[in-house]
Amino acid sequence: MAFKHPLFLFSILGLALFFFESLNKYDRQEITVTLSQQERLATLWETQTGYVATPEQLNSLVTNWIEEEILYQEALKLGLDDQDSIVRRRLIQKLSFIAESGPSEPADRSILQNFHQENLDRYTLPERYTFRQLYFETEAEADNALLSLKNGKDFKTLAKPSMLNSEYAYNSELEINAIFGIGFFSRLDTTRLNLWQGPLASGLGFHLIDLIALHEEEITPFENIQGQISMDYQRDREENARNNFIKELTDKYTITIELK
Amino acid sequence: MFKPLLGFGVFVLLISCDANNENVEIEAQNKSNSPIKITTEYNTQREAYFGDLHVHSMYSYDAFIFGGIASPDDAYKFAKGGTIRHPAGFDMELDIPMDFYGVSDHAYYLGIVREMALGSSILSQHPVAEGIDSLDEDVNVRRSIFRRFADFASAGNGSEIMDETVVKNAWDDIVTSANRHYEPGKFTTFIAYEYTGTGPEEEVLHRNVIFRDSVAPEVPFSRIDSDDPQDLWSWMDSNRAAGIESLAIPHNSNVSDGLMFSLSDYRGRPLDSAYANQRIRNEPLVEITQVKGTSETHPALSPNDELAGFELVPFKIGGSVPIQTQGSYVRKALLDGIKFQAEQGFNPFKFGVIGSSDNHNATHVGGEDNFYGVSGLLDSDGQKRGSLPLGTSQEEEDIYFDRYARFGASGLAGVWAEQNTRESIYDALKRKETFGTSGPRIKIRFFAGDNLPEIDDRDLVEKSYANGVSMGGNFISRSNQAATFIAWAAKDPNSAPLQRLQIIKGWTKGGEIYEKVFDIACANEMQIDSISHRCEDNGASVNEEDCSISTDLGAAELKSRWVDPDYDSAQHAFYYVRVIENPSCRWSTWDAIRAGVQPRADLPTTIQERGWSSPIWFIPAQ
Repeated sequence: MAFKHPLFLFSILGLALFFFESLNKYDRQEITVTLSQQERLATLWETQTGYVATPEQLNSLVTNWIEEEILYQEALKLGLDDQDSIVRRRLIQKLSFIAESGPSEPADRSILQNFHQENLDRYTLPERYTFRQLYFETEAEADNALLSLKNGKDFKTLAKPSMLNSEYAYNSELEINAIFGIGFFSRLDTTRLNLWQGPLASGLGFHLIDLIALHEEEITPFENIQGQISMDYQRDREENARNNFIKELTDKYTITIELK
Repeated sequence: MFKPLLGFGVFVLLISCDANNENVEIEAQNKSNSPIKITTEYNTQREAYFGDLHVHSMYSYDAFIFGGIASPDDAYKFAKGGTIRHPAGFDMELDIPMDFYGVSDHAYYLGIVREMALGSSILSQHPVAEGIDSLDEDVNVRRSIFRRFADFASAGNGSEIMDETVVKNAWDDIVTSANRHYEPGKFTTFIAYEYTGTGPEEEVLHRNVIFRDSVAPEVPFSRIDSDDPQDLWSWMDSNRAAGIESLAIPHNSNVSDGLMFSLSDYRGRPLDSAYANQRIRNEPLVEITQVKGTSETHPALSPNDELAGFELVPFKIGGSVPIQTQGSYVRKALLDGIKFQAEQGFNPFKFGVIGSSDNHNATHVGGEDNFYGVSGLLDSDGQKRGSLPLGTSQEEEDIYFDRYARFGASGLAGVWAEQNTRESIYDALKRKETFGTSGPRIKIRFFAGDNLPEIDDRDLVEKSYANGVSMGGNFISRSNQAATFIAWAAKDPNSAPLQRLQIIKGWTKGGEIYEKVFDIACANEMQIDSISHRCEDNGASVNEEDCSISTDLGAAELKSRWVDPDYDSAQHAFYYVRVIENPSCRWSTWDAIRAGVQPRADLPTTIQERGWSSPIWFIPAQ
């Protein structure tokens, strides 16, 4: 979130100082992040994480606190309160919710399609492989089978029953390692297609592998994941709405962070 | 994860794994009529998928007090292969991502303690919250605050701090995170939570509630609503009537002091068929193993089972008071269940099994060689979890902190499902086609029938499904039939080889219950003794200097077509598979080796990891 960036925070501070004298003081409310408040935030962080907050973390804690304070002030203005300070958090949540809910109509297809296009990296499948597999307990058995295959024997007659499948389709590196054990993929020569290779040792025994097809990285078509895109879009939109809302409100405030 | 070419066609073929269902009146009838989704990996012979359905995030009161800062979102990112940070500062990552995952936070105090610590609500001013905003590295303080919250609920005061808005916000986040991370065909999430019902003396009656679909009730039913599990089931029943399907999975029966599988209900009344129906309708499974101990059986209950003493935590939580074994272990409950069935016509304990971790770091367990504890800052290093000495006494004996030393790096759930989707995996859970392991990704197939194929048949699985029942099912035994079993296990490619394959049989006769362990396949061509039914020892060993294991002993797969030598079609019986790995180092030994000290003498230095299938029940035809 750009707002949390210290640079952003400092630019706000700069702007605030610049306009401080030229604006009518009574149009702007003041928020003061007192030293004791900063200390409290730092202690809370340390309590929860077991670590002393770094200056960056402290900055972001202070920024969060300011955001909340602003929402709180706005909530008060809207009369959602009865001047009871202990409902502050409740009011913040309420106002945040209003901000996040934004325009109520659901996103139409073209908006979601655009979102898909703009975030293709999120919706791209890695390189995957389709292959046949023969499993053997010993390397000698696998060597013999390889010889038989070279002599034209049908692979199906050589397959020994095992809990592995004899054919796998569209498996990624991660999935291949999940099936045969960590590191197995690196033993595969992925440049050799339609050729039995092996014996390749695994955590299970020895394998002959025939890579039938290599499937390039592939963008998942919009139609197949419309539901997921819709949820991602919704989440992004809520985040953006909240950020923009806070940004807008922040402009109405003069913020002072007391220095040591 | 597995995508056989076989599955490419778009075809819908439902295999009935339970052809004899019509005679069994107590089977749950919750078949969904929604069409089955087809993904490219759809396999009619089903694939093994692995997951964890018991994980706590920062919304759990205890996880938060232990230092937990990971959200449900972080938990799902981790399960999919991402990296998240332990509160003690190190990174946690899986070698192989999970196939399915469910964040199951405690419903009571859901999000409340975190809210108290944030300090901007009236909740922070409640006396029970004292000190919650100034926790530090002092784990004893954390422990006593945890205790205070638990006692507060036990005293019946919990509702005072159950701020509905806070609970609802946390629950909404849990539901949204589960739905957002669900990727059909690749990664399945379940909306879930833990119902932390507790007996009058702190007995654990905990259950995880797993929802089938993307919609969940407004707020979860918690122990604040009732400590009586029957009230939970009634809540689940009414949700079901409203179209929200869920199941509950009890866990830590091992520390329930006999209450989890008690022969009377929560209020002390004898069990009846209404109770059994409601229980089985809602609770098709139990967690047979997890970090806080394995609940299969206890040496006192199974004196003839040499492997019964596996990773036991037979004491009340946080103490040394022994637990009553009757009513606390799965095998005995299965036995009591068939006795009810034989004598009274109902079976309240007709459940399958899974494993899960109960990790309070929002992650799964790291495995024996990478175990980082499960309770945040409370057990994040060897001294805190009791594997490394704190110092030496005047008598020069090592002093250990003992509370977590007997916890195990255990708990993985396995299911046989057509594809990696919510519908398919949930339905596998419901029909009990499940297995549990102590951590490794061991796969177990198990069938019973009167016309099963030969063991080396190329179409073993297809024919076994067609002619038999699979794990979790019922076999109606008739006097003119012989029953055979097919049991088959494959090792985890990243774990130790398999040593032996076993069938555990339980039966009832003349008002008595009996159990027997049969080794049915042995690695390295070891022979099974015809009297003891045990494999010869294959001699697999562990080098305790560096934890290396025998490389030439053990098997990648073990399988057997087995006939029960004592089969009697008139008896109520159950059978389940247990598969045992060669020995390997326990996590505490790994800790000691890394620190360059001797492993503790009073803990097992090695263990034999294992897997358990759900049972198949044999019910005599009328």
